[in-house]
Amino acid sequence: MTLACPRLPHWCAATLLLIAAACGGNDASNDTRGTAEPAVSAVPATPETRAGRDPSPRPDMAGGRPRVVALGDSLTAGLGLKPEAAYPALLQRRLDEEGVQYEVVNAGVSGDTSAGGLSRLDWALDGDVRVLIVALGGNDALRGLPVEQLRRNLSTIIERAQTRQIEVLLAGMEAPPNFGQSYTVSFHEAYADLARQYDVAFVPFLLERVAGIASLNQRDGIHPTAEGARIVADNVWRALRPMLQ
Amino acid sequence: MFVLRMAVRETRSSWRRLLFFFICIAVGVAAIVALRSVIQSVRGVFGREAKSLIAADVLISTNREWTPAARAAIDRRLAEAGAPLSTETIETPTMVRPSDESRVSARMVELRAIQAAFPLYGTLELASGEPYTHAMLEDRGVLVRPELLTSLGLTVGDQMTIGNAAFTIRGVITNEPGRRVGDFSLGPRVLVDYADLPAAGLLAFGSRARRVVLVKVPDDKIDPLVTALRSDFKDEFVNTRSYRGTDDEIGEDFERAENYLSLVGLVIVILGGIAVSSVTRVFVQQKMRSIAVLKCIGARSGQIITVYMLQVMTLGLAGSILGVLLARLAIAAMPYAVASAASSSPASSLLSDVDYGVSWSAAGQGVGIGVLVSLLFSVVPLLQVRLVKPSLLLRDESVAGARDWTRLGAIVLVSAGLVALTAWQASSLQVGLIVCAGFTALAFVLQLTGRLLVRAVAPLALSRSFPLRHAVLHLSRPGNQTRVILLAVGLGSFFIVGVRALQASLLEEFSLASAEDSPDMFLMDIQRRQADAVRAFLDQPANGAGGYRLIPVLRARVTGVSGRDTRLDSFEDVRARGSLAREYTITYRDRLEENERLVDGQFWRGASSDAEVSVEKGIHERFGIDVGDVVRFDVLGRLINARVTSLREVDWKDSRSGGFMFVFRPGVLDDAPQTFIAPLKGPEGPDARARFQHTLVEQFPNVSVIDFHEILTTIRDVMSRVTLAISVVGGLVLFSGALILVGAVAMTKFQRVYEAAVFKTLGANTRTIGKMLLFEYGVLGLLAGTVGSLGAVALSWGVSRYALDIPWRVFAGEHLGGVAVTAILVALIGVVSSLDVLRNKPLATLRAE
Repeated sequence: MTLACPRLPHWCAATLLLIAAACGGNDASNDTRGTAEPAVSAVPATPETRAGRDPSPRPDMAGGRPRVVALGDSLTAGLGLKPEAAYPALLQRRLDEEGVQYEVVNAGVSGDTSAGGLSRLDWALDGDVRVLIVALGGNDALRGLPVEQLRRNLSTIIERAQTRQIEVLLAGMEAPPNFGQSYTVSFHEAYADLARQYDVAFVPFLLERVAGIASLNQRDGIHPTAEGARIVADNVWRALRPMLQ
Repeated sequence: MFVLRMAVRETRSSWRRLLFFFICIAVGVAAIVALRSVIQSVRGVFGREAKSLIAADVLISTNREWTPAARAAIDRRLAEAGAPLSTETIETPTMVRPSDESRVSARMVELRAIQAAFPLYGTLELASGEPYTHAMLEDRGVLVRPELLTSLGLTVGDQMTIGNAAFTIRGVITNEPGRRVGDFSLGPRVLVDYADLPAAGLLAFGSRARRVVLVKVPDDKIDPLVTALRSDFKDEFVNTRSYRGTDDEIGEDFERAENYLSLVGLVIVILGGIAVSSVTRVFVQQKMRSIAVLKCIGARSGQIITVYMLQVMTLGLAGSILGVLLARLAIAAMPYAVASAASSSPASSLLSDVDYGVSWSAAGQGVGIGVLVSLLFSVVPLLQVRLVKPSLLLRDESVAGARDWTRLGAIVLVSAGLVALTAWQASSLQVGLIVCAGFTALAFVLQLTGRLLVRAVAPLALSRSFPLRHAVLHLSRPGNQTRVILLAVGLGSFFIVGVRALQASLLEEFSLASAEDSPDMFLMDIQRRQADAVRAFLDQPANGAGGYRLIPVLRARVTGVSGRDTRLDSFEDVRARGSLAREYTITYRDRLEENERLVDGQFWRGASSDAEVSVEKGIHERFGIDVGDVVRFDVLGRLINARVTSLREVDWKDSRSGGFMFVFRPGVLDDAPQTFIAPLKGPEGPDARARFQHTLVEQFPNVSVIDFHEILTTIRDVMSRVTLAISVVGGLVLFSGALILVGAVAMTKFQRVYEAAVFKTLGANTRTIGKMLLFEYGVLGLLAGTVGSLGAVALSWGVSRYALDIPWRVFAGEHLGGVAVTAILVALIGVVSSLDVLRNKPLATLRAE
């Protein structure tokens, strides 16, 4: 749920750090600046579609298993966690343990809003995608973006996936109470309405039993720890498992 | 009481010379006292500025709720530190809307709930001009930023809903101390009463809020308090920082300015010391003949030493006291001088804030330096008196140098006094010792270099011009002035030029940090399909946006490196390299930005389907990635092997163009999912900015606008004050340094008087003697200036690097100018101060001597 250039470390000597941090650079001069975004998220590779891009494809990509794509933000990317601790990786492990032949693709990008998710949907829906997990909205909430817009972006994503015969699992998000009741309520309702309207699998709150609990969150109070990510994976797993044969 | 009478008589007979000695000491001491006083009060102002930036001495903050244990621990520490005052605030982002239900617009704001004692430093300014009182907030009052009123269409007096409660808008904030310079915000500031926050119902399970305890503590307790709290809370989510914190840019800049000023303080003490010492030396040398005469008629060494010591001490003390008075006068005149020079700039208020008085410690140091230095440089030569034989009167005989323990003891004793004084000034014994040792070493080096240079100009002694020939010969004749002037002027120009160069360098650093044309607004999350529309929007003059650029950004991670020095085959290997494994924001373009410099390789032109990447120098240094290596990137799930074709150095301080660790050649990433960020210069004026944001967000609802104009203005304001203070102090150094040198050089004229008279008797005319003096002093000035300026290059390097932590810049103009000005100044002083010698009949001089 991190913004693209979140919490500008310290005074933004003004612009410079802003941009530098926004651009993820500047860890050369001072590590406190560069760590605006700690080491991040697994993005297990999807197979190469264009020849010549990658002369050395990974061996495990040869299989061409059907795919589950998790389209999300830093919560999906696993910001601050080891790649194998992010919830998509945990889902993959459970599928492997149960012998279900699916490949889980982590299409989480830190800082992405619902609008960002929408614009990279086609890139993410690459290959034989059977299930799309939509776990967006956290950054919309953190930035106080209009709920109307969130609703529109999410419904477009769901519609496009459905026209491609991809099953959708919608993971809900909550706006924190400090935004005031009217915003949090309408934010909450947006997900429930969409799930009903499109009749998709639904996890009411991705961070259920994690959000707000200090010990399950990293220092920023936003991103789950490895322990928290396991609970997030449980939340998703319950809805995901029935969708796969 | 023979001694006293003798001292008085001696004073009466040569009162003109003594008066000169007296004035020289007064000038040296005045320079020390005046500068030290100004520096002390400017530092005080820095402290106040820095405190008002965070509105406290110490901030203790958390983004969790305070646990009772944590609060108890904090209270205990505060009581220990004797903190007289503390206050709490809560900051949280929230949505506000007009209470009038017919208007539906909501706006995100950064709310801060404050108590009556806020702010502990600085003033909260309101647009109406009336002074802020906490009563304005009581009973559901709210103070807001002007842009919020514009975007919600409200005015002062209207009702606004925050959470579950309605608040009345009571005023408009124009300046808020303690605005978190550490963070940029996504919304304008809104202030409410701490007691009203529960009514709004914003704080519940899962709320995101930052709770801060602001503390006022005596200055000497700040660091212990911060250290104690940090160790108390090292495993908890609590941050502690003081106003002096250097963990941010502005803290660093303040520290640099302070270091610079204390350096200048030391330099001026040394300069003053040099002046006093060279004046005393000449004075005592002149007395040697009289001493020989006194010995002839039976005076004892002890008596003679006492006579002259008494004289020197009295004059030193009186001169020092006069110096303190002079300093007082100079400082009292300063506000007028500065006010007329800087009346238009906002920074002039800094200097009106400065307390224009002479501080006791500065006066004490000045008098101490005056007396101790004149003592050091008179006792040592005077002790030689014991060895002076009456025959000296008849023959110009050098005093034999047997080992003289008393003399050595005296040197050690007085030197110890000086070290103590320097240590006091630097408030550290170690620094005092280092400075004194460095200074002695420097004098030695200067002496050596001076001798070499004198030898280097020796061929000029064969010159056909009589005055030039004699001038050069004078440099190495018995009783020459070479040593005294080289030392005084060389050290003087060394410090003055060094300080000037450092000042120029420091100011350039500051001006980069607060450049007028840097962007003050930032758009993020512009989607690709919106890019053209956003460009069109920004291009429209009606919207009032200044220079902007749209930068495509993507996220990528390094998953492998195959290079000459570094081979990382898997992501696991990369992870072992620490931050190389983190997610990087990357971009692509086909040119270097203004703040980038190619270090190695060649930067591409145009697009290519082969992946090429340019790497920042920091990455190259830390991870050994070089030109020709291949780096494997994972860009949103696709692997791209990019060949490193160039290394760039990004000047992170120059913000205008941003900075990227990895820049790709266009062609490969063009189709990948990307968003755009746009730094830009927003419209002028708060209303225009509010309108701009309003229309932009209306048209592109997903785009977030971050406005940091206010923070930037605050910082610029502070920086311009600091800059002005540094320039003023620099100017004072130059002025007083020149005065000191004038005194030191002019004093040497007494050794010229006799010679000039002899030359005249032998038939030299005034012109020839004038030319001789001009050449002699000119050559000396040139030598001293060259040595000093060369040394200043080294000084500015060392200080930039180790004390101020800024890049070393050479200002050739300052150094060359230093040489020229020194030579001209010394030559002029030499001639002008000897004017009376030139004009007088030689007989009068010969008799008087």
